[in-house]
Amino acid sequence: MNFLSMKSFFDIDYQTPIFFKNKQLSRRALLKSAAGMGSVSALPVFSLSLHEQKSLALLAQTDPWLTLDATLNQLLPKSETGPSAIDIHALAYLHQVMTVHPTEEDEKAFILKGVGWLNSYANSEKSQSFATLLFEEKELLLKGISQSQAGRNWLNILLNYILEAMLAPPSYSSNGGDIGWQWLEHKAGFPLPEKGQRYFELPARANIIKLTRLSDQELK
Amino acid sequence: MSFDICIIGSGAGASPIAYRMAQAGAKVLVLEKGPWLTEKEFFKDELTISIHDAYNPKLDKEQHVIEEEYINDNGESYWQGEPTSESGWSWWNGNVVGGSSNFMSGYFHRLKPIDFRLKSEFGAIAGANIEDWPISYQELEPYYAMVEKEVGVSGRVVKHPHQEPRSTDFPFPPVAELPISSWIDKAAKKIGYHAIPVPRAILSQPNMGRKSCEYSGYCSSYGCSTGAKGSARAALLNHAVASGNCTIKPNAKVYKIATDAAGKITGVHYYDKVGRNQQVNAKIYVVACQAVETSRLLLASTGEKFLKGLANNSGQVGKNLLFSGGGTGKGDFLYSDLNKEKINELKQVGPFINRALQDWYQITDIDFAKKFTQKNSGISTNGSAKGGTIDFLFHQNPIARARGHQWQYDENNNEQLIWGEQLKQALKQEFTSYKTLRFEVFNDWLPTDDCFVSLDDDVTDQWGDPVAKVRIGYHDHDLVVGEYLSKKAEILLDALGAKNISSSVSGYPATNLMAGGCRFGNDPKTSVLNKNCQAHEVDNLYVTDGSFMPTGGSVPYTFTIYANAFRVADIIQQHWEKLS
Repeated sequence: MNFLSMKSFFDIDYQTPIFFKNKQLSRRALLKSAAGMGSVSALPVFSLSLHEQKSLALLAQTDPWLTLDATLNQLLPKSETGPSAIDIHALAYLHQVMTVHPTEEDEKAFILKGVGWLNSYANSEKSQSFATLLFEEKELLLKGISQSQAGRNWLNILLNYILEAMLAPPSYSSNGGDIGWQWLEHKAGFPLPEKGQRYFELPARANIIKLTRLSDQELK
Repeated sequence: MSFDICIIGSGAGASPIAYRMAQAGAKVLVLEKGPWLTEKEFFKDELTISIHDAYNPKLDKEQHVIEEEYINDNGESYWQGEPTSESGWSWWNGNVVGGSSNFMSGYFHRLKPIDFRLKSEFGAIAGANIEDWPISYQELEPYYAMVEKEVGVSGRVVKHPHQEPRSTDFPFPPVAELPISSWIDKAAKKIGYHAIPVPRAILSQPNMGRKSCEYSGYCSSYGCSTGAKGSARAALLNHAVASGNCTIKPNAKVYKIATDAAGKITGVHYYDKVGRNQQVNAKIYVVACQAVETSRLLLASTGEKFLKGLANNSGQVGKNLLFSGGGTGKGDFLYSDLNKEKINELKQVGPFINRALQDWYQITDIDFAKKFTQKNSGISTNGSAKGGTIDFLFHQNPIARARGHQWQYDENNNEQLIWGEQLKQALKQEFTSYKTLRFEVFNDWLPTDDCFVSLDDDVTDQWGDPVAKVRIGYHDHDLVVGEYLSKKAEILLDALGAKNISSSVSGYPATNLMAGGCRFGNDPKTSVLNKNCQAHEVDNLYVTDGSFMPTGGSVPYTFTIYANAFRVADIIQQHWEKLS
């Protein structure tokens, strides 16, 4: 079953999406997943703001960022023992992953789907949205969804992005002041990339560009 | 467009030809599939290098099919291919100008005289296609010395039981070393081992228009931003271009070397950056795309005279592909076992470990020889077997180190996700309580009938051309040698006081260590190239990457590829002068 038509983390027909196994999607796999996307109702509930018109703080007041922020803060909470999701700017990193990095569409859709599933679970269990719950209540819900394969996959994606946010060069919008590296006593190499030099900003590789003859364009 | 020399590929096998021929005044064209990056585009960015593999093609655009052996219900073996776009196992090693040499560690060990005559020294091995090289160490030695000078190798000669003959000293002093290097020296001496300094293709002093190493702490698979690493691009191609005689065309993917009815090459066909067909011709053609892609190009270049692929009427193209046998191992230094001074020494980053063991490059050990009771087992008449090299290293990548710590086993031994305080503690413990010293074992990957390149019938690349299918069978002998060497390395780790010592030897190839597929030899029936690395069947075609090797030796390949390409460059220069 394609995850886009699922209504909950606990759907028994859930199968781990291919992008999860391998983020380098094959053409065949893309076709397979595209075949599962039929109706408008199956599309993600949330759309992403591709242009950063609003500041992240404003974005985080509404979903999907509100719930994602709350989840990240639960996964790496404030404590004396080490930096939190807020300290490492995990939400900013995730926002970049979702809006600027060339992340697979399926993966982004899965992350957004999970926001909907988490909130409907929160509503069914606590009659509230996830972000408004108390720390312990959130913890219980995350423990609850981690009992499902889809829930584990969703949490694992966010946890991996937390680790990236903590330990990536600061030009990726997180790990400001090298906070993650300092906490884990890691000495970074140099030079580090600046914005404009990140992995997706390197000179392009050869590609087939479909050229349209001017005369063909005019016919349209 | 017409040139004197057209070189396909731009790595360690290609660049000495471009460099020498441009110096000689020939008009040289280098066609490289990837983009042309410079020092300004190499950063110590784990996301670029390992998480997103951004210096290589995406696997949905360009991939391989890897054939592995399986057993069916009847206990019969069969080979099944899996596209790498599905497995995620990339076989690309740096598709940019300068090729994989941009991303090498630069361990520049020479081969030793016995590597050139493996069959004569140790005899045939059943199930392996071992052949002696048609040249000797003595013939290649001056070119090793040439590479040390022109590419730049930093090192120190020490007396050693397996030291190969050298005509010169290293032109550059060794690069700076970490305190652990002297720990290794002491421990090795104590147990009767000879730890030797590793020659590195890294400039310890500024020279030849390049800066010296700045000891950023990240080397190996990271591109060098100072030019100190002796990549084909930094060391040779920049000079070739500066001569005014060498044109590098990046983003040019060659898909066919065309021939006429007489078998004469009529030109090289490639796709440019936006996918348009282009064609060039030259007096002499050189193929150096790294072993798998070189065989793929020749196999795809069929013609009236070459129905099975260019220079392949013998059926030898793609055969006897080589990787490196061996494996990896590690041991942990627990900070709780060490005093503050030792911990600080261990925590230093920047300089290199630069230590290797070659005490068992030839294994003379009765207990080892006893493992082989049959004839043709690679044991010489005096009971020796071919062994290999052990190198030591630290890993740097913090994201890779952190990943996986969100998974822990619960009391019922089920894997569970953890987060919050538990995760923080797991990370803190992982990063701040110990450091792992790793080793890599390099031993011969014996050539067999089960390790070769062909073209896949179904899977194509983004341009619609069949991709290379690689069968990755190995010889059990490789594992026995790899395990023997790993155990020797483990003993050193133990003598160093490391804990949690382990090693892993498997038949899975390290895909960054490839050679063979167009081996050279004197017999056109059993080899693709003659001793000059010129195709037996096509006069003006040379192959100068690692494809020529009939056996690979027990060290990383790049140094020998460079040296051999410098040797062949002299031959090509004579050939070109004759044609001109």
